[in-house]
Amino acid sequence: MANLAPWLAILLPWTTAFYLAMERVWLPVWHESREKRIGRVTLGTAFLALISLMMGDGYALIHGAPGTVVSGTWFISGPYLVPLALSLDGLGLALATIVAWISLLTIRFSIPYMHRETGFLRFFLILNLFIGAMQLIVLAGNAVLIFVGWEIAGVSSFLLIGYAFHRTTASRNANRAFITNRFGDAGLLFGIFSAFSWCGGVGWDQMAQSAPQVETLGATLLGVGFMTAALAKSAQIPFSPWIARAMDGPTPSSAIFYGSLMVHAGVVLTLRLQPILMQTPSVLHAIAVIGLLTALYGWVTALGQSDVKSSLIFATLSQTGLMFLWCGLGWFSLAAWHMGLHACFRAWQFLHAPSLMDDLDRPSPNAPHWLTRWRPLHTAVLHRFWLEHLGDAMMVAPTLKLANDIQVFEHRVVTPLTGLPAHANAISTLAQWQEQQSGSIPPMGYAVERSTGIAGRMIQGLASTLYAFEENMILKGGGSGLMEVLHIIGKRLMLIDSLLSQPRYLILMIAMTFVIIL
Amino acid sequence: MFLFLSLLLAIPLAGALIVAFIPLRHPGMLRASAIAHASIALLVSLGLWHWFDPAYNGMQLSERFTWNSRLGTYYALGIDGFSYPMVVLTTLLCLIALIASRHIQTGIKSYYALMLVLETAILGVFMAQDWAMFYLFWELTLVPLFFLISRWGGANRDAAAINFVLYTMGGSVFMLMSLLVLFDSSTNHTFEMSSIASGAQLLTPGTQLLLFSGFLVGFGVKIPLVPLHGWLPLAHVEAPSPVSILLSGILLKMGAYGLIRTAQMLPQAMMILQPYLAIAAFVGLLYGGLLAWRQQDLKRMVAYSSVSHMGVVILGISALNPTAMMGATMQMLAHGLVAGSLFLIIGLLYERTHTRNVTDYSSLIQVTPRFALFTTLALLAAMGLPGTAGFVAELLTLIGGYQRWGWIIVLLSMSVLISAAYAFRTIGRLFTGPVRPPMSQLSDLTPFELTATSLLAATTLLLGCYPDPVIRLMTTSVTTFSATFSSRF
Repeated sequence: MANLAPWLAILLPWTTAFYLAMERVWLPVWHESREKRIGRVTLGTAFLALISLMMGDGYALIHGAPGTVVSGTWFISGPYLVPLALSLDGLGLALATIVAWISLLTIRFSIPYMHRETGFLRFFLILNLFIGAMQLIVLAGNAVLIFVGWEIAGVSSFLLIGYAFHRTTASRNANRAFITNRFGDAGLLFGIFSAFSWCGGVGWDQMAQSAPQVETLGATLLGVGFMTAALAKSAQIPFSPWIARAMDGPTPSSAIFYGSLMVHAGVVLTLRLQPILMQTPSVLHAIAVIGLLTALYGWVTALGQSDVKSSLIFATLSQTGLMFLWCGLGWFSLAAWHMGLHACFRAWQFLHAPSLMDDLDRPSPNAPHWLTRWRPLHTAVLHRFWLEHLGDAMMVAPTLKLANDIQVFEHRVVTPLTGLPAHANAISTLAQWQEQQSGSIPPMGYAVERSTGIAGRMIQGLASTLYAFEENMILKGGGSGLMEVLHIIGKRLMLIDSLLSQPRYLILMIAMTFVIIL
Repeated sequence: MFLFLSLLLAIPLAGALIVAFIPLRHPGMLRASAIAHASIALLVSLGLWHWFDPAYNGMQLSERFTWNSRLGTYYALGIDGFSYPMVVLTTLLCLIALIASRHIQTGIKSYYALMLVLETAILGVFMAQDWAMFYLFWELTLVPLFFLISRWGGANRDAAAINFVLYTMGGSVFMLMSLLVLFDSSTNHTFEMSSIASGAQLLTPGTQLLLFSGFLVGFGVKIPLVPLHGWLPLAHVEAPSPVSILLSGILLKMGAYGLIRTAQMLPQAMMILQPYLAIAAFVGLLYGGLLAWRQQDLKRMVAYSSVSHMGVVILGISALNPTAMMGATMQMLAHGLVAGSLFLIIGLLYERTHTRNVTDYSSLIQVTPRFALFTTLALLAAMGLPGTAGFVAELLTLIGGYQRWGWIIVLLSMSVLISAAYAFRTIGRLFTGPVRPPMSQLSDLTPFELTATSLLAATTLLLGCYPDPVIRLMTTSVTTFSATFSSRF
């Protein structure tokens, strides 16, 4: 029972997502009455998930938390074993209950909020996908399972930021957020790899057991990998800018993703890695510094924001920064409590944001006096400390240049050598075709054997040689040549025959015969 | 015992006679009766499946009558796992060829009669159990073919017909000499295959090698092995399309079939020649493939691709193990179907456009979607795409060849790659590109033509997806064949 409940919490939202996907496929015609059914189904499953988790909690309260529970093996390959394990300790169960509770409330809020939106079904589909993923993140018993949740949450975040995909900014922001998150994913994969090689397994309990024996180098590598993932997901400095862009999604999704749940995934990961991190003071110090910086950055920047969602998200950043600071200082329990309380509070704030303007009886407050007076800082705040431009200059621009150079290399060197189709002047676009029609591109030749690249040229040369051999030796020599030889032989024979029929040669022949006989 | 095989042999012959007596006033009746006889022959050959016992090792449904006791010749027929699939293929392709003969307008009486005589002769080659009869039918195929090419062929038909007959006769002379030596050395002086085979065992390996070389020249012209293929491009191009179907679909298989029978008869020589045959096969594979790629003329392209595909057959036979041998026999079937359908489609296209130059075609997929479908299917089958008969054959040959020669067999994959090059080139040239005015008025396949093409396509796909029944049909013969050699390794 206690083992089943958490799985239900993960799978119920996904089942709902699957159901919604099926409904999308099989019932393409939208009718407003479907909103009610979709709302009921989603709400019902979220409620069921919450109930089952509460029952699991009750069981854990009476009998004690079960700890890590293995329900099977996901895959095994040589020494690499990944069990289907959930860690049902106090932290996991409590966080899962909070996730279920907040998602239930958010769903309840969203049903009227999304009323008559064109993407009603799509929104709930992605939301359910995310809820399942988030449950998996908080409950996962090992790094590979958390990675699964991590990725699904990332993808659903991408999809909801780009919810209004017809708006260019929304699509661009979705891309930006997703790509920044990929840094963290790379870190997580690196962490998983390090865990396999240094700790011999990816389970949290395994890592905790082997923590005292792990060398400092291993622990540091592991910590750096996992912490990159945690910092990216929780939008700490230097990854912070993506989360402000993520505000493009519908408000309920902002609430659940960036206000309360997904933004804390990094903290969850840090809490899970506590035993290993304790072995690497350097990583802990780095986390503490980054957390402090982010807290300050979030606090100051929030003061300068003029819209409610932006100021809320920077306030969130300052709080998560504090959580990382607590972790860096070794106060993991404080971080956990802080996280739970902050999640609930911030969810309420975000959900309240749309009606905030109605409730306020005076215009939104300006930035505090001391900040506006200090011009350089105020400018920096308004530009959000140029973090994004910094990222562009450090990462995006060099990558683009490198890609450009590779493109040139590809075009000048690789394509002519290999004879890739790009070089075979095939027409791939209508514009090219029109250019060809107007004469700016020479039309393609009508020769059948047209090959490019070293291999192609070699084969073409071989084929031409064989062709010449075939034409001259086999066909001319064997076919028509045969006929010519026959003709010549026939003519000679005719000549001999005609000569023999003349009397003088006949007599000569007879004479010769006599000579031979005699 | 009912004389099924004689019946099968007699049906097309009777058809030829009946066609000869139908007055020219009724061309429709003429054609219908020819097609009817070919259909009956197909049904009878399929019906033989009921009496054919796949597990029996040896000749089945045998018939044996003394023909000329002083010469030691017998009227002996029989089928086994090698010849029975060929018999069915023959009757099938002959029917298809007759269906595709609609555009023949001049001298239709002699045309249909000759086609039916040709069918009888080919069936005789595959069923004969006496070398004298085999040789007789072998030469008998030349007569109708000569007239079919030289009368209904293309512009250069006379040269093509003479060339074809001279090449084949030139090869047959060597075969005949070998046969006579074998006859002389056999103890009871008969031409029966079984007694000649037992007599051949007594010969020294050197003599066996010489005799085998004689057969190899005779059959190698037909298969064709590479330097002996001079007749093939000319004959395939100049022959009318239905005759091309038979030439490429069945006539080439006669050579490979003869080679199998010779190998059974002279196993020691086969063992000595094995590597050389394999080299010839590899040369043919690449040579034919590259030349097919180089051709603009569609018919020439298919003709050279036949050289390449028959290389797979020779390769499979020369590996001398059951897997590769099964691959070779499957390839004989697969190539018969594929080359048949390619020549059929190209012939039908040529009727409409009067050009075979691939560069003249363009954008047919909009105008003639049925042509596009069946041509693409046939070309994909030609390159041995999984799901078609060619794939089963090439895979088996590849596995068997690997068992025998190891990594050299990768050359076979090279030829598959080349065949992909010309197949896709052709598909692209025929069906894509800008619409050209002369190609925009073509009519698509008529229902009658559609029947013929889809019959071949369906058989190709069926053999590719569910080859088991046919493989079971041939297993006993194939294992017996390779068992002859496995004891000698």
